[in-house]
Amino acid sequence: MKRYARLIAVVACALFAFVFMGAEKAGKAAKPKGEPIRAKIGVISIITGAGASYGEAITNGFKLALGEVNAKGDVHIDLKIEDSTGKAEQALSAAQKLINSEQVVAILGPTLSTEMKVVGPEANASGVPIMGTSNTAQGITQIGKFVFRNSMPETQAIPASIGKAVKKYNLKKVALLYGNDDVFTKSGFDTMKEVSEKLKLKILTIEEFQKGQADYKAQLTKIASLKPDAVFCSALYNEGGVILAQARKMGLKVPFVGGNGFNSPKVIEIAKGAAEGLIVATPWFGDRNDPKVKAFVAKYEKAYGKKPDQFAAQAYDAFHIMANALKAAGTADRAKLRDALAATKDFQGVLGKFSFDAERDVVMAPNVLIVKGGKFTIFN
Amino acid sequence: MFLEQLINGVTLGSIYAIVALGYTLVFGVLDIINMAHGEIFMFGAFVGLLVVSKAGAPLPVAFLGAVVVTAAMGLLLERLALRPLRGRPGASHLASLISTIGVSILLENLAHKLFGAGNHLFETPFAEISFKVGPVTVYLVQVVILFISLLLMGGLALWLSRSRAGKALRATAENLETAGLLGVDTNRMITATVVIASAMGGVAGVLVGMAFNYINNQIGLSMGLKGLAIIIFGGMGSVYGAMAGGLILGLSETFVVAYGSSGYRDAIAFVAIILILLVRPQGLFGQAPAEARR
Amino acid sequence: MEWLNPYHLQVASFMLINAILGVSIYVTLSTGQLSLGNAGFMGIGAYTAALLSTQHQVPIPVGILAGSVLAGAAGILVGIPSLRLSGVYLAIATLGFGEVLRAVLINWESLTGGAVGIAAIPQMGRVVLAWAGDRGFSPGSLGLQSNQFISLTVFLILLLCTVLSVAFFLRLSRSRVGRAYAAIRLDESAAASAGIPVTYYKVLAFSQGALLSGLAGALFAHSTSFVSPADFTYHRAVEILVFAVFGGSEHILGPVFGAAFLTVVPEALRSISDYRYILYGLLLVLMMVFRPQGVIDPALLRRFRRSGGGVPA
Repeated sequence: MKRYARLIAVVACALFAFVFMGAEKAGKAAKPKGEPIRAKIGVISIITGAGASYGEAITNGFKLALGEVNAKGDVHIDLKIEDSTGKAEQALSAAQKLINSEQVVAILGPTLSTEMKVVGPEANASGVPIMGTSNTAQGITQIGKFVFRNSMPETQAIPASIGKAVKKYNLKKVALLYGNDDVFTKSGFDTMKEVSEKLKLKILTIEEFQKGQADYKAQLTKIASLKPDAVFCSALYNEGGVILAQARKMGLKVPFVGGNGFNSPKVIEIAKGAAEGLIVATPWFGDRNDPKVKAFVAKYEKAYGKKPDQFAAQAYDAFHIMANALKAAGTADRAKLRDALAATKDFQGVLGKFSFDAERDVVMAPNVLIVKGGKFTIFN
Repeated sequence: MFLEQLINGVTLGSIYAIVALGYTLVFGVLDIINMAHGEIFMFGAFVGLLVVSKAGAPLPVAFLGAVVVTAAMGLLLERLALRPLRGRPGASHLASLISTIGVSILLENLAHKLFGAGNHLFETPFAEISFKVGPVTVYLVQVVILFISLLLMGGLALWLSRSRAGKALRATAENLETAGLLGVDTNRMITATVVIASAMGGVAGVLVGMAFNYINNQIGLSMGLKGLAIIIFGGMGSVYGAMAGGLILGLSETFVVAYGSSGYRDAIAFVAIILILLVRPQGLFGQAPAEARR
Repeated sequence: MEWLNPYHLQVASFMLINAILGVSIYVTLSTGQLSLGNAGFMGIGAYTAALLSTQHQVPIPVGILAGSVLAGAAGILVGIPSLRLSGVYLAIATLGFGEVLRAVLINWESLTGGAVGIAAIPQMGRVVLAWAGDRGFSPGSLGLQSNQFISLTVFLILLLCTVLSVAFFLRLSRSRVGRAYAAIRLDESAAASAGIPVTYYKVLAFSQGALLSGLAGALFAHSTSFVSPADFTYHRAVEILVFAVFGGSEHILGPVFGAAFLTVVPEALRSISDYRYILYGLLLVLMMVFRPQGVIDPALLRRFRRSGGGVPA
């Protein structure tokens, strides 16, 4: 042991030295009159790795809003974007960096509910307001008073879509299909099952798939052979689009009711004609006849070459909500910003009217949409 | 439904078989598992996609493009990441394994940079064509995939057993030193093996695009793992083992989902390996235990 | 103490957990067995600790102990059938075990919650803070903010565990057990004919490795306060292997160094997040091509010792 004593001492010193390389001082200057409120806001998003397509849409939404907010001049936000690669540990490290090294006043993100479950408690304990724009699992804002979200949970969206579909198509027996290895799709499925049971539908079969699967023929063939009136599918759009396409190709023509994850122009892009008749409930309706929405869609398409999906829209609104709260708070102070956020009421965004409820969760009305003629339209 | 699932299983299985062949060839000759094989397969799929959709060329050109690119990648892999480790003191098999892992991480992220995240549509012109055989609907795509797979597997088996180069490759796989003594240019053989294995991965990539219509930069990982399971099951270094193993895995995955619980689909591959390793470690077609236990 | 940055402490904490994992694969490797099941054993340790503390209000240290022991026991169960395998076959079988375990974690929802995972696991730092607060102590008296105190506590606990683990196995390597391991690694049949109970030692090494992985898992659960099956995929198993081979698989300090270094690299490269994994992959290839025995090998250590210590080159 003595032989290694020196080596261990050196390694330990190196470790301590690394650890004790200091934090920057937190600068909380009061805002002089006439000057915009300056604040650093952190973003945790999936930039590389398996969920990058979703992270990209979210980050784009933030950046678009950033340009608008800074141009307006009431506040000036410095956005610090960190990559979580979709792993909870990386998200935690990113959060720690943003909170302590960058001294951000608030955090937007992270993308996945699994990441938020790790990052949320830390942000809450550090007194940093954090807002999820894409977390839809249960138990998110209950983590603590600094945790917010503006993404409509599946528990609100799914009853709306299933309810309307059952009424319109007189559904009696259904098949359920979901991704069992992802928190989002699993929570969505839990809600679908609950709603189906409540509406006294006969569940013919429950099939599962895993992320990254390219081939769903086995599950779909099994479902098709049981002849359901409809298929309820909880998936993210990458898998969802493929599932739809393969289902239609093998002759499964019954209505598909999708969870939140299906609400994306990408689904129509991936599935093409197969997407006809897809029903989703969502706060985001990109073709709404509303000037705000139209302006946002046009601007986004011009900047990024594709139409914005729900992820982008929610991120965009979230940023504006954050900026408004910052303005209301009057200064870049974490506690004040938190209070201002909690007081957000009837904010008019591209998703419609938005407020936080007492638990900082979403108060929004879902639209039920159906794909007709290659576009999402209101389902009546 | 049984017949349709059977066809699903066979289509899936033949693609798995081709991927597994790539692994088994390299293992047979180099005694290492090329962890970058899955990513090379993924690149093959993307090259095929680019040829078909961006260049608008017909499908055979897609195969050609994929083969050329993946063969080149195999060449680079062998020269830069594998050869420097051969015969070096201190270089265990683990070092080569880690080297290929490094390449796979690099390729996966490079693909993300080059092609973007998310699913990309792979259009086959004859995707919709199908015909009924009795009560069953068979798609032309499935027939083409099966045909190409059989052609490839048959061609490879024939080449290995009949041609001089093929025999030299088998000799190299059997015993590197002895083959060298007998006048085989082992370095060239090894390079050729890696190139051929990679090219097969490229073909499999295009086939996957045709079969499932969507590819993304993550397909290399899961396919890679399955390929590994197959060669263990079938016997590492055995060509027939890879073919049989691929087919069996494709069928069992499909039938587990069809008649059992779809939640355990991915676990099937691993349960199979564990069982086979306990019962018959050399795999179905592998050599006798004494030599197979490396 | 404004220079104490929880971000650095966080990264250092992950470095320590990874170091324990690195040692866990090293222990089995020292008998010549390549086990890639450590992600699975880590999962056992993590879920045991998580379930005990969230559903049965078991105190954290007890939960961590239980998790490690359970993982160690699982190690015996996996180690015995694995005796028939060696080399790459063993590696893949153990990898398979890890994947099967993950499938169980996902599908056995009534126990594990499935993909949703287990949240609100008591976090070591916050628990200590609350406990100290109940006794009238406040971090301010040390000149620390709450989050600095929390991160520091976690780091120190992990440091203690890591140092103890490394010290234990360093000692072991020079004991009779360690010599037996080395003999088995060099030549199993020779060791057997020399009277060494090979089976016993191989299974022992397996379970020791599993126990360490379980410990790392339990500590992980109590540092991040959330676990899900996605934390224990074969990616992690491969990652642990890379720590060991990159850092040097011939000496226990190799995986420790490998874990520390490779945990820091992605963090340090955050500024180029688009490219950092491309660089990471490249780094692995280059290291293997130019120094396949890993960074730390016995020769380097001998040189270091001979030069009388001081700062290594």
